[in-house]
Amino acid sequence: MVSRIRTLAETKSAASKWGRRFLDSVRTIYSRPATAFGASVVLLFVLLAVLGPLIAPYGANQQIPADARQAPSTAHWFGTDHLGRDVFSRVVIGTRDILSLAGTGTLLSVVMGTSLGLLSGYRGGWFDELLMRFFDSLLAMPALLLALLLLGTLGPSRQGVLLVIVVVYTPIVARVVRSVVLAIKTKGFIEAARVQGESAGRILFREILPSVLPALAVEAALRFSYAIFLAASLGFLGVGVQPPSPDWGLMVNEARRTFSQVPWALYFPAAAISLLVVGVNLAADGLKQVLLKAD
Amino acid sequence: MKQSHQSKKFTKIFVPLLIVLAATLAACGAPPAEGTLRIGMQPILATDPATISSDAEVLVASSVYDYLVDVDAQSNIVPRLATSWDVSDDGLTYTFTLAEGVEFHDGSAFTAEDVVWTFDRLRDEDLGFTTSSLYSNIADITATGELEVAFTLENTNPFFLYDLSDNHALVLKTGTEDADTHFNGTGPFKVENYSPEDRLDLIANENYFIEGQPKLARIEMIFFSEENAMVDALRGGQLDLVMRMTTALFESLQDEAGINTFAVPTNGFDLVRLRSDRAPGNDPRVIQALKLATDRQAILELVQQGYGAIGNDSPIGPLYGPYHDPAVTPPARDVAAARALLAEAGYADGLSLTLHTPDSGGRPDLAAVLKAQWAEAGVEVEISVEPESVYYGDDGWLEVDLGITGWGSRPYPQFYLDVMLVSGAKWNESHFSDAEFDALAALAGSTLDEGERIQAYADIQQLLVERGPVIIPYFFAQFGAIRDTFTGFEMKAFPGRSDLRTISITQ
Repeated sequence: MVSRIRTLAETKSAASKWGRRFLDSVRTIYSRPATAFGASVVLLFVLLAVLGPLIAPYGANQQIPADARQAPSTAHWFGTDHLGRDVFSRVVIGTRDILSLAGTGTLLSVVMGTSLGLLSGYRGGWFDELLMRFFDSLLAMPALLLALLLLGTLGPSRQGVLLVIVVVYTPIVARVVRSVVLAIKTKGFIEAARVQGESAGRILFREILPSVLPALAVEAALRFSYAIFLAASLGFLGVGVQPPSPDWGLMVNEARRTFSQVPWALYFPAAAISLLVVGVNLAADGLKQVLLKAD
Repeated sequence: MKQSHQSKKFTKIFVPLLIVLAATLAACGAPPAEGTLRIGMQPILATDPATISSDAEVLVASSVYDYLVDVDAQSNIVPRLATSWDVSDDGLTYTFTLAEGVEFHDGSAFTAEDVVWTFDRLRDEDLGFTTSSLYSNIADITATGELEVAFTLENTNPFFLYDLSDNHALVLKTGTEDADTHFNGTGPFKVENYSPEDRLDLIANENYFIEGQPKLARIEMIFFSEENAMVDALRGGQLDLVMRMTTALFESLQDEAGINTFAVPTNGFDLVRLRSDRAPGNDPRVIQALKLATDRQAILELVQQGYGAIGNDSPIGPLYGPYHDPAVTPPARDVAAARALLAEAGYADGLSLTLHTPDSGGRPDLAAVLKAQWAEAGVEVEISVEPESVYYGDDGWLEVDLGITGWGSRPYPQFYLDVMLVSGAKWNESHFSDAEFDALAALAGSTLDEGERIQAYADIQQLLVERGPVIIPYFFAQFGAIRDTFTGFEMKAFPGRSDLRTISITQ
């Protein structure tokens, strides 16, 4: 108990230790060009998501008939689509939509996947067996097929896409967490905690979870990039977010029909999807390096 | 003796030569069919004329079989297997004289019995073809001679000849049972080879009953499921003719060398309708407000890029000549008036509606533009886009409150009134019921007095503008493109009915 009371000096040194570690991480990230690029791209899109409506010169659904089908120019940086909507504004405003949709979906699947994975790995037995076979059956289906099945039943909507992301990615996160738990659970310090009479919840969240965190962070980052891709794919297939919302996938789908005439309406949202997915992937890769080093 | 030997030799050599020469000259009277036309189109599923529906299916069937009477590109009735006809004074009996010397592709002769058998098949309710309701007004069909057939009607039908030229009314040989796998028609082309989902090759029917037709020796129909790929193949020289494409693809072909493009006005349209049998549409002020909030010119410019024609909320479009009254137009856009009407109807705080639309053509675009336009009048629209097959598949389109529906072009306007707007009609999607309208539609569809019909159609247009449940913002154009080495092609409003017999190659 005495050890828990920190002196001022210790707190200071702890803070500077965390600061050092943070600086170290930033340095590690920016020492690798690929990771630096990825992190910058993610940062850029997050900024766009936050400031989107302030940056966009026009409304997402503002139709200017006189300006329809115009090539990129100073007035319309990314040109206008067949209905006279400013493509730049739509891409910028759409950033918040896709980041919040994929972000919320990832967060929910990470929280649920982690809880289930911890419990399943620690408890073992019939609970573990039942849950894992159920997840296997979900994973046996290609993600997109499962998504189409769910959305076909629920009807296309934003909430539907969110649910799809959670259903598709929770099992994957749970399995990753479970595998780490299985490796740790037999280690001495867990045994010691159990012998000390600590509650299961305390062991799970105070002893095991910290060891799972690095792997979990990397997994979450990867899931995030896949979630962006899945949301965009569903938008493209027309079963996700409904028009006329500036969903990138939906924009690509709409622009496909007018591609021969207004190709820029397809290029920019498609490039945004690619850039963001590649950026998140590179950043996730960098995160993996940092956390492995820290380990 | 020698002389006679010489003469014999002369006969031996020159007579056959002369015969060959004469035969060649005779053949030159009607130049032989030559050249190959490659058409890109959607894969066909149905080949039995009674069950065809798509452009491609109708194009194939109408090349292999013949209609009794046909419709030209200007919507006039023209002879085909029937060379002439008489209508009795009471308007109930139509007697057709059939062409002589017509043979089926299997070599058997075509007679009046084949016509009787074909139309009996099409109107047989037990067989359940869609034509059975179209022909329910026929009381009797009789072969009155080897090449003469009489149709007797129960009630007068001024559009009966148009009904006889319905897409499905292609004449089969008596007793045909395998029309879905075999192609035994009298038509200008014979099927040489058919690989489902891949291609269908046609060769000229050298015994075709019309002198000098067809002009092409061969037609290759190559199936594409993607419009973009089809137009790219035309551009790349693998195809010669493409019909029906998006406005964007059509625009992209404008500067292409060696390709002639054409935009054909049609009476096809997209309509927006509000169910009039329940809230909010049962208050006529609501649809009136939506009409006032709609900018038809902007919609035509954005959704159809200016091709086609402005609609005036009635299916009787400008292509119907005297039946269309250009003086009847909906009131100009007035957002303030729309707001006032909505407030009167109890929607002072705005109105929220879900707009259902199939995913085909410019319909999702129309929905997006309407959403923006109506928002200015305080109407909040949520769009629900569904795949076309799903939307029309389970009759959900007849149930929703607010929906967009595409209607194809027809050669005469009565069809739309009878199936879409008359009380209790099969496809009365707006659930519209108006006694005055029903009476006018019945009059227009039965009177033999052309002046009376024109007046009835004018009254109907006025009525629909004043209290109709539909907004028809435009009539669309149909697009096609053909390589400039071909002449004699005229695309019809329904591209599948275009005449391939008159196309010829110039080099």
